[in-house]
Amino acid sequence: MISYILKRLLGAVVTMLAVIFFTFIIFFYLTPDPAASICGDACTPDTIVQIRRQLGLEEPFFVQFWAFLSGIFVGRTYGEGTAAEIYCSAPCLGYSFQYRTDVFDGIVDRLPVTITIAVGAAVLWILSGVAAGVISAVKQGTWWDRGAMMFALAGVSLPNYFVALVLQYLLVVQLQWLPFPAVVGFTDDPTRWFQTYIMPWTVLALMYASMYARLTRTNMIDTLGENFMRTAHAKGLRPAPIMLRHGLRPSLTPVVTLLGMDFATLLGGALITETVFGLNGVGRWAYNAIGTNDQPVIMGVTLLAAFAVIIANIVVDLTYTALDPRVRESTK
Amino acid sequence: MTDKPMLQVVDLTIAFPTAAVVDQVSFEIPQGGTMGLVGESGSGKSMTSLAVMGLLPREARTTGRISFMDEELLGRSDRQMRRLRGDRMAMIFQDPLSSLNPYYTVGFQIAEAYRAHRGGSRRAGLRRAVEAMDRVKIVDADKRVNHYPHQFSGGMRQRVMIAMALVCEPELIIADEPTTALDVTVQAQILELLAEVQQSTGAGMLFITHDLAVVSQVSDRITVMRHGRTVEQGTAEQIFSRPSNDYTRQLLAATPRLDDQVDLPEPILTPVGSEDS
Repeated sequence: MISYILKRLLGAVVTMLAVIFFTFIIFFYLTPDPAASICGDACTPDTIVQIRRQLGLEEPFFVQFWAFLSGIFVGRTYGEGTAAEIYCSAPCLGYSFQYRTDVFDGIVDRLPVTITIAVGAAVLWILSGVAAGVISAVKQGTWWDRGAMMFALAGVSLPNYFVALVLQYLLVVQLQWLPFPAVVGFTDDPTRWFQTYIMPWTVLALMYASMYARLTRTNMIDTLGENFMRTAHAKGLRPAPIMLRHGLRPSLTPVVTLLGMDFATLLGGALITETVFGLNGVGRWAYNAIGTNDQPVIMGVTLLAAFAVIIANIVVDLTYTALDPRVRESTK
Repeated sequence: MTDKPMLQVVDLTIAFPTAAVVDQVSFEIPQGGTMGLVGESGSGKSMTSLAVMGLLPREARTTGRISFMDEELLGRSDRQMRRLRGDRMAMIFQDPLSSLNPYYTVGFQIAEAYRAHRGGSRRAGLRRAVEAMDRVKIVDADKRVNHYPHQFSGGMRQRVMIAMALVCEPELIIADEPTTALDVTVQAQILELLAEVQQSTGAGMLFITHDLAVVSQVSDRITVMRHGRTVEQGTAEQIFSRPSNDYTRQLLAATPRLDDQVDLPEPILTPVGSEDS
């Protein structure tokens, strides 16, 4: 088991290096000159060259790549020897000259908001999605099933910026049941905290719960047709243990896979939701950075998202071993 | 043994919205006796057994009578049937691998059957599971109890299924093609085990198979079914020595027997030493 984990972690490091490399290529070759956007209105070609020097953009590709990569581990200094020397400490994911901040610190500042959104939404969508899926599967073909699946279809089809705007308009503007979302710490004002996050949670959960309900339903219907379900009935078990213990558990494996990926994606920022509700998370930061071509920020958030997905992959596989004894065997 | 049959099926008819699958089938099993239900696939033999267990799909309509220890089973509620199932009547299925849940240890699954009817702690349930596994001659039962179905061989899995069926000491065991998925040597062991179990517990058995060779080893009486109807019924002896029905004769003729005379080809090489020199 330990050697399996080590193997996976080693694989993760290699994957991450590859991701960094390719992301760097994309930003190196395919994006507009960052020096120009930093330079602003009163810009002369001389200043641009100066900024490019300071950012190290005049160096060849591999020198720049090496500077970036080593910066992650040991930190780096921008514009060494000049008056405007800036030190970016390890782990340095770059420096945003627009925000005048270390990208890594910027992410760390905004990540709690993003994590709160992701965790709350995930809890909500797992509970509602899996429950709806189970009910649909057990009551297959009834109005329960049709109703739940209609709702799921709507949830998948409605774009979440639309749902977000409608919710905000209804609950905040019209009915005034909720105040305008504003980021507060949970310990500062739990009520306000809850009122702020309930809308983004609902918006995200609605979309994801729909997918999870459909996935759970399909898997559960498959499982219900298994021979061991007949055995469970033949043993004289009650309906609840038959459905949950024998029916649901085997149906959850694909749900776990999906959950790992979706949750990881959200950690890279719930771009639309954060932006609509004006919550200052990683996603909104990236959204703003795209508008102003603040490349270090975009790249930093991209790497964060990749990192989250890679880690989630490992976590999902380890969860499998806990869920499925046959997998446990093969990882020994 | 009393004269009263333990299981009496009278004019059982099972119909689905699209078709009738069992038509007026009757048979009875005396206390501790075995009835072999024989027929090709689609003959309605499995449906008959599921009807006894109360496990037919909801859309199935049944008429006739099924009485078990003098109690009428047809028309009982789900809850009433649930109390009987696994406790007083238990079923062994054809394919032990798919009939066991891959996610739980065999011990848990056997204990589950026990605890559903007798209650008790997990630990007590597991103790029962070990005992049951001992009875079906699984070696190292106290260790094997924590293993998962995929860690057992086919024959061992079927022993687990039998242990699960036995754990509440049922009065009736329904074995639905219990040896079909197993290879021949293992088949013989399982049949022997079932016979032993039946002898030691005095349970009645409904043994379902398409294989006359198998049924001849376990059953006192045999019912031959085809297209949902009874074709012939009698003691094993009668059926095998004096089959009265054409279909039964065909079935018998289709069964390979060990004492069949087969023309062996002449050996190509003469054995060493017998050559003329």
